[in-house]
Order: sequence, then structure tokens, then C-alpha cells
Amino acid sequence: MASEPTPELSPEPSAAEGPAAEPLLRLTNIQAGYGRAALVLRGLSVTVAPSSVVCLVGPNGAGKSTVLKVASGMLKPRSGQVMVDGEDVTGRTPQQLLASGLSHVPQGHSVFPEMTVAENVLLGAYTVRDRSLIAERTEFVTTLFPLVGERWSALAGALSGGQQKQVEFARSLMVRPKVVLLDEPSMGLDPKATAIVFEQVQRMRDAGTAVLLVEQNARRALEAADVGCVLDLGKVHITGPAPDLLADPRLAQLYLGGRPKEVP
Amino acid sequence: MTGALFAQSLVLGVLLGGLYALLAAGLTLYFGVMRVVMIAHSAFLILAAYLAWYFHETSGLDPLLSLVITVPLFFVVGYGMQRFLVSRLRPISLTTMSVLLTFAIALTIEGLLGFVWTGTQRRVQLGYSGTSIEVAGVSIAVVKLIAFALAAISLGALFVILRKTSFGRALRATTQHPEAARLVGIDTDRVAGLGFGLGLATAAIGGTALALDYTIYPSLHWHWIGPLMAIIVVGGLGSIPGAAIAALLLGVAASLLQVPLGTTWAQTVFYLALFVTLMIRPQGFFGGRLAQRF
Ligand SMILES: Nc1ncnc2c1ncn2[C@@H]1O[C@H](COP(=O)(O)OP(=O)(O)OP(=O)(O)O)[C@@H](O)[C@H]1O
Ligand SMILES: [Mg+2]
Repeated sequence: MASEPTPELSPEPSAAEGPAAEPLLRLTNIQAGYGRAALVLRGLSVTVAPSSVVCLVGPNGAGKSTVLKVASGMLKPRSGQVMVDGEDVTGRTPQQLLASGLSHVPQGHSVFPEMTVAENVLLGAYTVRDRSLIAERTEFVTTLFPLVGERWSALAGALSGGQQKQVEFARSLMVRPKVVLLDEPSMGLDPKATAIVFEQVQRMRDAGTAVLLVEQNARRALEAADVGCVLDLGKVHITGPAPDLLADPRLAQLYLGGRPKEVP
Repeated sequence: MTGALFAQSLVLGVLLGGLYALLAAGLTLYFGVMRVVMIAHSAFLILAAYLAWYFHETSGLDPLLSLVITVPLFFVVGYGMQRFLVSRLRPISLTTMSVLLTFAIALTIEGLLGFVWTGTQRRVQLGYSGTSIEVAGVSIAVVKLIAFALAAISLGALFVILRKTSFGRALRATTQHPEAARLVGIDTDRVAGLGFGLGLATAAIGGTALALDYTIYPSLHWHWIGPLMAIIVVGGLGSIPGAAIAALLLGVAASLLQVPLGTTWAQTVFYLALFVTLMIRPQGFFGGRLAQRF
């Protein structure tokens, strides 16, 4: 599919990739930054295999959100390549990337607060013209997130933080993306709402959508993920199956609050 | 104040408030979609009034017909202004720089009006200029009624556009969360340009309505921008229903106060309302969460 010999380009082997699965999303050697400031990403590579949850963890300001912005076209990389399902999409706009099957739920609250839940969800299908398709997908997301159906005509801004996240998830699935990018979905939520969010990440995966997840809450996120990537200084430092990372003492010390899972 | 006088002032207030409501809707629209403070809004209003007057002078036709030209013209000018001037401002200082930019545009328009048509006061003279109808003891000038009807129809149309069309939803989404709007595939730059065009179109309609009933001169716009700015803050920046409600209330208040206080002092009600709003409820009284972000 790809004309480039991709394997040599990625410095870190993506360990837990499915057997022969061509990755749905592949970022290769990305360099990116804001304006004239120093680069935030310095040769970063990440892959997301079909039906998997890949989790990016790292300290504040490591560039986690920047990775997602590059992937969804909100930020153009200075160099490097973005591939979606074998197609080179580098430099495309968010609108074009939606059509390629990529959907991005940004950090923080992102519902349209003075619109109803219905309007919010239907705006997720802004680029979809086929009405029957929209109806079908509305059905799909309200089944996946029952709360969205229950609060269908409520103002989105009046919902709790956790409920708003569900509306955002539903909205992002209205294009039936191949990969959905979630930026710190549990930020600011209480433990119960956080548990719901992580459960729903699983549901999205089970429904056939691959997930690239960014989290501060590294331990919780790695428990929910298949593959983990640790980001620092603009590069992926360590990558591997999430359970391995959870057990890795180096990582435990640095990012998981200094309490490795298997302390001798 | 006698009952009849009160009723008369009330009706005049509502009629004036309708015009304020339309103009304030345009002004709050720019702020909503773009975070732009559009000082030149009322200068375009006066420009439209002059165009209506000139149209009538040269063609002898009803000045209302000038809308057929000015509305599309202003829409295009607004779109162009956003795409080629406002969008060049750096996002970080957009709001403050937009004041300077649009202040300059207002001065330019004022200067051009004086240059082309001199500073002489102008007034449209129509067959029905002096006509008024009497309803329950209240006498209403026909031109005021026409102006109000024009404003009401346009506001209604604006409401339908924003609520019922796909463009309207895109515009509201852009106002409420620009980043999320881009992420659902809305071309927010284009939407902002069209929103600006729509805002300037309200100035075209308002200006024509104004020309029916007011004596106009190039610097008249300074009398309008202050009350309009006050209205959109009281109504909640970016909220169109808020602007409309605040405009009606303050229009009526100014009109009622005019009897005991005189025109000049009655105008201060707008600024009084502005101060009170900024002191006790800076996000505005009728919706609009935008102001909270500042
Ligand atoms: N819009 C922007 N303009 C300029 N610099 C930015 C912008 N957004 C982020 N940065 C800078 O880029 C770097 C990485 O930011 P990014 O938001 O990607 O980090 P993050 O890992 O998501 O952090 P957090 O955990 O706090 O969300 C930071 O140093 C930040 O200051
Ligand atoms: Mg972030």
C-alpha cells in the first residue's frame, strides 16, 4: 500500500502490534512546534493498530496534545509523515482528515454549551450528507452511550463534566471514524465518572474503532490500553504492551507515582 | 406624566427598540463569531442611510428599494472585510487590535461621506413622511412603523437562519467552541467571513430604516455606537436574543425618561445600564457565557 519502506523509518519497534495488521494510524518521524518557538515534537513516531487502544503518557508539556493535533490536522508538522489506513494524509485539514476516518476529542470541555445534546451530536455528522446514514449512526451512538439518548434535548452546557464527555464521544463517533483521538478524557472527573470514561473507551474499541488515548492518569490509562508509549522531550521514549509498562520499575518510578506494581 | 403621554412614549420606545435590536444583533454577531469589537458598525449604518437617501434623490424611487442593492453589497463587503482585514490580525491581540482597525474604518467612512456629500444635514422627503396613524389615542408615524417592521422581519429572518439552517448551526458552533467546530469539519474561517457579512447586512437594513425617519449627517454614527455597545454588553456579549431583549428594554426606558429628563439625559440610561451590568453581572443579563472567558 504505502510506497515508502515504512519499517526502517520508525526508530522504536511497535511491540504489541497485531500479527500482520497494517496500522490504521502511523505517525513517522514527526517534527512539530508552535510558531517560532522551539520544536515540541522532535522525530516522534507512533502507530495504532486496528481495534487497539494505544495510550500516550508523559509529564505536563511533553507534547501529548501536540501529537493528537498533528494527527488530526489542527497543526501542520514541519516534517514527518501521517498515514491513515495506508494513505498519506500529511498536511490535510481537519475536515479532510474526518473524511479519511480520523476523529479528535480535544482536551477539556468541548461541547457546544448553548446547544442541545441533539444539536451537538448531529454536528458530529456535519460533513455527512446522507440522511439515512446520519439516522443510522445516531441510533448507534445512542445505543453505545444511553445517557446521550436520555438527555437528548437538554442543553449540553447544563450537563455534568462526565456527561459532557459522553456527548463529545458520541459526537466524535458520528463519522464512524477508523481511529478516534482522545485527549485526557478523564481530566477533572471524579473516580466514578473516570471509571465510566475508561469503560466507554473499551466499548469504542469493541465497536471496531481504534483509540489513541492521551492521559495524565498514567496507571489507570495503561490498565485500559493495549499498548503504551511514554513521551518525553518530544519523542517516544519507551513503548510496549501496556501490562509490561505497568510492571516496568523505571516507569513506575518516573510516571506512576514511584510505586511499581511488582516491588520485590 | 399623563396616561396618554406614557402610552405614546412606550410605543415610541418599542419602535426605537426594534431598530436598536436589529443593529445590536449585528454587532453582537461579530463579537460572537470573531471576538471582534466592530466600532465601524454604526458608520456602515449611516453609510447605508446615505445610500438610501442618494438612491431616492437620484431615482425618485422609494428609499426602501435601495435595500436590493445595499444588502447584498454590504454582505459582500463584510465578508471581504473579515477575510482580508480582520483575519490578518494576530489572534492573541485580536480583540484590542480590532478596536483600532474598525475605529480607523469608521473614520474613513465618515470622511468619505463628508467628502462626497459634504457635512450638510440630509433628510428623505416622502409622500408619507408626515403621515401618522392613530391607535387608541396613540399617534404613530408611518415611517416609524415601517422601520420597526423592517427590523422585526430582519431579526426574525436572522433567528431562522441561525436556528434552522446548517450554516446557522455552524456559525453558532464556531461562536461557542471554535476548536471543536473545526474538529467536526466546519470551515471556521469561511463561517466567520459569512457571519461578518451577515452582521454588516443588518447595518444596511438598519440604515435604510434610519433614513426614513432621521436627519442624517456624516458624524451621526458616534451617537449610535455607544448605546449599541452598551446594549450588547447588557444582553451578554455574543448572545443575539440577549441583545434583542436588552435593546427593547433600554429603548423603552430611554423613551420614557425622555419626557421628564429631555433627550440628552435620557441617553444616559444606556451607560447607566452598562455600569450596573459591569459591576454586578459582567457576563450580561440575558445569556451569553462568552464574557466570562475574559
Ligand atoms: N497553542 C500553542 N502555542 C504555543 N505553544 C504551545 C501551544 N500549545 C502548546 N504549546 C507548548 O507546547 C508544549 C507541549 O504542549 P502540549 O499541550 O502538547 O503538552 P501536553 O503533553 O498535552 O501537556 P498537558 O499534560 O499539560 O496537557 C508546551 O511547552 C506548551 O507550552
Ligand atoms: Mg495536553
